[in-house]
Amino acid sequence: MKNFESRVDELRKKFEGALAGVNDDRALEDLRNEFLSRKRGHLTLFFDDLKALTPEERPVAGKLVNELKIQVQEALTTRQGKLATRVVTPDKADLTLPGEKLPWGAPHPLMLFQEEIENIFLAMGFSIAEGPEIETDYYNFEALNFPPHHPARDSWDTLYLGDDLLLRTHTSPMQIRVMEKFKPPIRIIIPGKVYRREAIDPTHLPMFCQVEGLLVDEGVTLAHLKGTLEHFLKTLLGDKIEIRFRPSFFPFTEPSAEVDISCILCRGKDPACPICGGTGWKELLGAGMVDPQVLKNVNIDPERYSGWAFGLGIERTAMFRYQIADMRIFYENDLRFTRQFSLK
Amino acid sequence: MKISLNWLKEYLDGDISVQTAVEALERIGLMVEGREEKDGDIVLEVETYSNRPDTLGHLGMARELAVALGLRLKERNWPLSELAVRTADLADVQILDADLCPRYCGVVVKGIKVGPSPAWLQKRIESMGLNPINNVVDVSNYVLFSTSHPIHAFDLDKIAGARVIIRRAKKGERLLCLDGTDLSLAPDMLVIADEVKPIALAGVIGGQASAVTEETKDIFIESAYFNPVSVRLTRKAAGLQTDASYRFERGADISFPPQAALMAASLLTPFGGRSSREPADVFPLPPKKKEIILRHRRITELLGVQVDETFVQKTLTDLELGVEQQQPGVWRVKAPSWRVDLDREADLIEEVARFYGYEKVPSVVPSLQVVDPIPDKSREKLDRVRPLLFHYGFNEVINFSFSDADRERLLATGFEAIQIRNPISAKASLLRTNILGGLLETAAWNKNRGLDAIQIFETGNVYFRDERGCRERLTLGLLSTGMREEPHWRQKSREADFFHLKGVCEALLQQLRYEPFSFEKAEHPCFEPGSGLAMAYKEEKIGYLGLVVGRIREVFDLKQPVCAAEIDLELLFGKQPKPFTYEAVAKYPAIVRDVSLLVPRDVSYQDICKAIEKLPLPILEESRLIDLYSGESVPKDKISLSFRFVYRHLQRTLLAEEVDRAEQQVLVQLKRAFGAQLREGGKIDNRTGKN
Repeated sequence: MKNFESRVDELRKKFEGALAGVNDDRALEDLRNEFLSRKRGHLTLFFDDLKALTPEERPVAGKLVNELKIQVQEALTTRQGKLATRVVTPDKADLTLPGEKLPWGAPHPLMLFQEEIENIFLAMGFSIAEGPEIETDYYNFEALNFPPHHPARDSWDTLYLGDDLLLRTHTSPMQIRVMEKFKPPIRIIIPGKVYRREAIDPTHLPMFCQVEGLLVDEGVTLAHLKGTLEHFLKTLLGDKIEIRFRPSFFPFTEPSAEVDISCILCRGKDPACPICGGTGWKELLGAGMVDPQVLKNVNIDPERYSGWAFGLGIERTAMFRYQIADMRIFYENDLRFTRQFSLK
Repeated sequence: MKISLNWLKEYLDGDISVQTAVEALERIGLMVEGREEKDGDIVLEVETYSNRPDTLGHLGMARELAVALGLRLKERNWPLSELAVRTADLADVQILDADLCPRYCGVVVKGIKVGPSPAWLQKRIESMGLNPINNVVDVSNYVLFSTSHPIHAFDLDKIAGARVIIRRAKKGERLLCLDGTDLSLAPDMLVIADEVKPIALAGVIGGQASAVTEETKDIFIESAYFNPVSVRLTRKAAGLQTDASYRFERGADISFPPQAALMAASLLTPFGGRSSREPADVFPLPPKKKEIILRHRRITELLGVQVDETFVQKTLTDLELGVEQQQPGVWRVKAPSWRVDLDREADLIEEVARFYGYEKVPSVVPSLQVVDPIPDKSREKLDRVRPLLFHYGFNEVINFSFSDADRERLLATGFEAIQIRNPISAKASLLRTNILGGLLETAAWNKNRGLDAIQIFETGNVYFRDERGCRERLTLGLLSTGMREEPHWRQKSREADFFHLKGVCEALLQQLRYEPFSFEKAEHPCFEPGSGLAMAYKEEKIGYLGLVVGRIREVFDLKQPVCAAEIDLELLFGKQPKPFTYEAVAKYPAIVRDVSLLVPRDVSYQDICKAIEKLPLPILEESRLIDLYSGESVPKDKISLSFRFVYRHLQRTLLAEEVDRAEQQVLVQLKRAFGAQLREGGKIDNRTGKN
């Protein structure tokens, strides 16, 4: 028993000595483990030793060990408090040390850009609809007023999966799917991947992202299309850009328009301009009034309803906005490239 | 389409500058994509549309410009050196398949001396980027680029029996084409044949045997209208594309064949050519003249601007449309035969808009009434998934949907990959059946560029074929390799290991309320043996995770461990998650007890959890594994698991005895089920720290 008491004293001294030398969190934690670890702490082992004592001795010895344990715990807690105070004391810590690094993941720039586009239309009460990438000839072409075997199809060079099955060449088939299911007024935008049989080069990819817009209601006019797209493009690309509508041809719109925006790089002054080639304009999207045949194909009366639609390539728009020369970079997924855009 | 400014002036009355021409063309949608100066001429490269074959010649472009600029078109005369004998008496034209050839017109020109073209003609041909060949070929090309109507010249003497038969090819027939192609003809191809054999592939290319040569004296000029679809299918099957087929497949002017033939004959008179004014014109299927009703009101309704009625009438008349006012504000309109694009009221409204000027249509933001949003559940859920993953430190990537046989074999997902029939390359001949392949490629790309911490994800479709056909499924792929963070003075960098990725999957399922989820050991061809887990929600498998197997890592040159997971989002999003309900925040304190147990090694943690969950203990709020230890002080066949149990009663403060009883129940249950033993000194009441 005497022996036991002296061992307790010894341990107390050992603890006090060690505590005096502690000056950081890690040392304090080590000390805590050394004495209180539930597996092999000095005090834990002491409790085990109690079993060797006589029943009379046990309560006294137990009390001694318990007192030491409480003393150790309190001393550790007090010390921890002091250490904590020490770290925030300006004169003792170098506050210029960098703060902890918080990891963050970043969205892909194409998705960020897509969301930016979506948000502009969501604010105008549009819904988002996504559709299948594997499509039938009917939805991708026929319902959109491409007659079978018409050369118009050549501009939408297609990857075929079967006689009637293909990878959609544009997001427009979803126009049909939505109009089949919902009655006007319809206001949707359709983002998604589309596919073309194109060799990879800096401005062409066999897969790219598009956003389609569709509005069908009573009394919708070409003037509305112009107004909406102007609002959209200025919100997306800045008030300073100019927008030009010029006649074009798409089988599923009539009248059709191509929409150009003024070159923000050279303003039409540099014949070698990588964006506009000196013309001062960059072709950005295709649009038009929904062809009456398309409305008929989905049982919407073109005498009562009219609508407009547009389609825009996300990569091309992002390239214009950030002056990115090579489209392929979006699909290299170099994190040094992609992560930058979450900072914007 | 190349357009020469000097050539345009053959048709346009009045002098126009190149600037005027370019601006006018672009205003009406004919974009000038290039221009070059050539021998005092300017040649424009003008973008044309597939519905406007009439603009594939200078006459058509001149018509557009005349209306846009208010100019007149010149009348051109094509005088002949008359031949008394009618063409029909010199050659017998017979159409056997009128569905594919509704009109065939021929003119015989006799007595030609084949030779070089005069300078003016050579210049024209060169301006189109072609080499002059001889007067006959050059005249054919001149007619084509002038009028957009393709014609073809045969050597009359080489047409057996002087019979020109337009018919479908017979099985086994061949044609040696002008370009040297020896073509095996299929029965659905339309040919021009003589008494014996095919001499040309209709609308596409002529044959060598009947070609005009230096020795040719008399020629037969073909000027026809062929069915556009037939020409397109034939030239595709033959693998040929010519200036002629390009125009025929877009639709030629069915009224024009005699004029084109006589124009050619006239142009050949300087070389001795003599011909009859009366061509052999077989026209079994004249098209019906279609009338279109145009309402002024509809123009306003569609364009959103009031276009003056006189402007409408003048524009359409200038475009050579037949316009007749039926009643005020309503016209009956007949389009000329060369305008194959004008069929309906909307087409006419576009014509009005084009010449009115899109820039004069006002910009009006529509006043939008409230409409019910069209729901897209999958998209809504995806919009929750992605931010969670960013929050967990994962970067989004997008890879191409393509794959190839090697990759599919390597990753062996068990899905049948969908083949692309006409792939751009062998490397992109299949559609991916997994997200992992692209993620591995992305990881390798970044690793090779010095990045060490790679945590990436992609959401996109995988594609496969099953008994229901071609399918696509929205899938999430996750990959984590290297360190989770760069070294830093405050933190030890942690390696991205299996349990990190498992934590990500768990957090995701939990935050989306897909609970209860579970994991079962499952082998997967992509994973190291024994490292794979199958993920399940409500007992249905939704995905898997594991450590990518070495042989796959090697292919991507990834040496360090790579953890990956895939979750079938389509399946998951189709399931109902646990409904969200608000729970009142507990008012009464919890009692926290830590317990260390010795458990046989072959008992899985998940089974222990299930056993604890089965206990009817409403006061047990949470049980969490806080430590795991195996070492000297633990028997070899056992492992020490430390749990933290949180007990709480929602209506009152718990009594220590109640907790003791509950704890005892837990211990008894675990002992009975798994032989779990309490470690000595393995109970701590955290509130007091007392054993």
